Amino acid sequence: MWEFIARSLEASTIFTLAALGELLGQRSGILNVGIEGIMLFGATFGFMAAQNSDSYAVGFAVAILVGALLGSLHGFFSITLGVDQVVSGMGIWILGFGLTTFIGNPYTGPLGMDRIPTIAGFSPFFILSVVLVAVMWFVLAKTSLGLRIRSVGENPSVAEVSGINVARTRYMCVVVGGMLMGFAGAVYSLDYNPVWNYNFLMGWGFIALALVFFSLWNPWILLGGSLLFGFLWQLSLNPQLFLPGVFSRYIWRTVPFVITLLVLLVMSTKWFRAKWGSAKPEALGEPYVKG
Amino acid sequence: MHEELLAGRVRGSTVLELRGITKRYPGVVANDAIDFEMRAGEIHAILGENGAGKTTLMKIVYGLMQPDEGEIYVGGQKVKLQSPLDAIQLGIGMVHQNRKLVNAHTVMENIILGHPNAGRVLNLKRAEEEIDELCRRYGFSVDLKASVWQLSEGEKQVVEILKALHRGAKILILDEPTSALAPPETKKLLTSVEAMADDELAIIPFITHKLPIVLSTSHRITVLRRGRVIARVDTARATEQSLAREMVGREVMFQVERPVVETGKPVLQVEKLSALSSRGFMAVKDVSFTVREGEIFGIAGVSGNGQHELAEVLAGLRKAEAGKVTLDGTEITDALPIKRWQAGLGYIPSERNEVGSIGDFTLVENVAMNYYFDDTFTHRGIMDYGSIRKLTEDLIADYGVATPNADVKGKNLSGGNLQKIILARVLNRNPRLVIANLPTQGLDVGATEFVQNKLIEAKKNKAAVLLISEDLDEIMAISDWIAPMYEGEFMAIVSADNADREQIGAMMAGLRLERQEQ
Repeated sequence: MWEFIARSLEASTIFTLAALGELLGQRSGILNVGIEGIMLFGATFGFMAAQNSDSYAVGFAVAILVGALLGSLHGFFSITLGVDQVVSGMGIWILGFGLTTFIGNPYTGPLGMDRIPTIAGFSPFFILSVVLVAVMWFVLAKTSLGLRIRSVGENPSVAEVSGINVARTRYMCVVVGGMLMGFAGAVYSLDYNPVWNYNFLMGWGFIALALVFFSLWNPWILLGGSLLFGFLWQLSLNPQLFLPGVFSRYIWRTVPFVITLLVLLVMSTKWFRAKWGSAKPEALGEPYVKG
Repeated sequence: MHEELLAGRVRGSTVLELRGITKRYPGVVANDAIDFEMRAGEIHAILGENGAGKTTLMKIVYGLMQPDEGEIYVGGQKVKLQSPLDAIQLGIGMVHQNRKLVNAHTVMENIILGHPNAGRVLNLKRAEEEIDELCRRYGFSVDLKASVWQLSEGEKQVVEILKALHRGAKILILDEPTSALAPPETKKLLTSVEAMADDELAIIPFITHKLPIVLSTSHRITVLRRGRVIARVDTARATEQSLAREMVGREVMFQVERPVVETGKPVLQVEKLSALSSRGFMAVKDVSFTVREGEIFGIAGVSGNGQHELAEVLAGLRKAEAGKVTLDGTEITDALPIKRWQAGLGYIPSERNEVGSIGDFTLVENVAMNYYFDDTFTHRGIMDYGSIRKLTEDLIADYGVATPNADVKGKNLSGGNLQKIILARVLNRNPRLVIANLPTQGLDVGATEFVQNKLIEAKKNKAAVLLISEDLDEIMAISDWIAPMYEGEFMAIVSADNADREQIGAMMAGLRLERQEQ
């Protein structure tokens, strides 16, 4: 049982890290549906770098760097060129899927390094992810930088007349967001399941994307949601543990999406909007053209 | 860096000076060698119609736009305003007509957004003290913890003023400051503006109409027309007539005549009508009234008091929760919009660019939108664009729409000309009932006069007219019945003959009166 919980937490960690990156971008108004692609890139390049250098540090550093590069690529398309953000994100996903399959193919197989040690039974990345949630919440809610980020995501023209550089703020968010996604990918391929295989993620990035909507753009709810989703994911790998024979693993795997849909449904009700307004950043997904 | 430029200002010293400001667009000179001077403690209004160059000038002073020629001096020193940030740092603040606020954020967050001393970790306590002090000094009151989307237009404007003052504005640009306010709110704002002027702040209101307010509050007035300064006068020596003549370039009749037409049978009857707003609040509460042939029924209200929802329910664009609506004796409460158009309802929506027209459609296509269901113009589903073009060209001629031809896209017309086309295509059908929602909003004096006269003409032609307006003067001038609307209810229904301006203004802000019999 403990092992099941520990594995669930490790799965949650990956969701949390990737979704935090997405949340940061979305709070600044940039939707990145290419999260799965960036994770694939981070995971694959991190895996290759770690194996070649026999160093986890190098592996993670490369994954973060690759994430930053892809984040800025998405930024270039969606901020500088003003391309439809969904199209750009889909492009990054397809690129990630194709290119990592091609480049990673010779690396198929186990990583072959000593496992990363746990701290009191917890993966160190789990602890790190909780700390990052706290940091993200503090930055967004309590700091002047956070207020600037949120304003840019809600109403960029207001931010502009308040003396804020909209493009720079958004770039910063998508780049840092990309780093977190690349890092999350590497946590998967170096720690959670250190075996390279083609398209090994199979939808983790999309669950992380759903998680951001589930969280109503709040880091703490995001953490709660990722614990739940991590548990459900782990259950999908061991469907015999709970209600054996009733649900197959594929049903379990859809549950996070069903839950997210329900949350979106509640969010769109009159009752919710009258009480909380619109939780979604108002300018999310809209290119900002100065002038 | 520059803030000290205005620190030592004394009453009457020049704080802002524009010399020869010129800005050209392809084909138009928006600002033509404009000189302007502003003193500390002065309220110096800039008047002009739409297209007179006010917006351009405002953007130049706030750094949103750079002039092609000319110089700007702040506190006697020549400056370059490359961005709003430059202007803010020099002590120039701006209160935008289309509010520049983040709806999802609190009042506090909006005020401190972009403030250099907000602290890396936000120092809300200090900011709160500072804002409270500003409120006390100038008589504002606003809940700092409320979210902006919950506020009224007047409150939002207060937030913008506080934001500018908190950033240290010494020169405050107000864009159409009273356009969305109820009369009592306007009065409060003017008191605050005067208190700010007493504090050696310089206030520049940019105004299209509402001349009486300009006359009662400002010290000096600069009038713009077609990008040029036409007049600069001390307010004491100006009259409503003289200002209007200078703005428009011809005499303007302020008294639109209100002909008495013999009223006929009831056209629109509304009984105990209720409707929800898009946010789910009860926006229209139990409203009953009747509009007869040959009369204009005016609903006066500050935006957000349910008049918009009421118009939508009557036009069939919003569901009625309760009550009954009849048009010429036939119930239409739940009828589809198309059935209403065919029954003789003509609707002029308030958003002429979003709802009233399709910007990427030509004028012919925009006119066709009101005739596609009419057998005269379609045959078995095939549009007869030939006759619609002919009709459009006739309407353009009749209504004096300034456009090169009928194939111009809607979005390329000015507000006044677009409104003329919308009005023309509705009135040309000789509707039994005309619902005009904010028909003159944002129009200049000339176009406003035109639209009002057309509504009166419809009334003379035995149509029933329902006029919804935020402009009390307009309501008073042309309506036969006046219903001040507040929070979804009519405070009264008053005959225009015994309507008192002060009283109706008070009712627009919620004061209830004994309901008079219609």
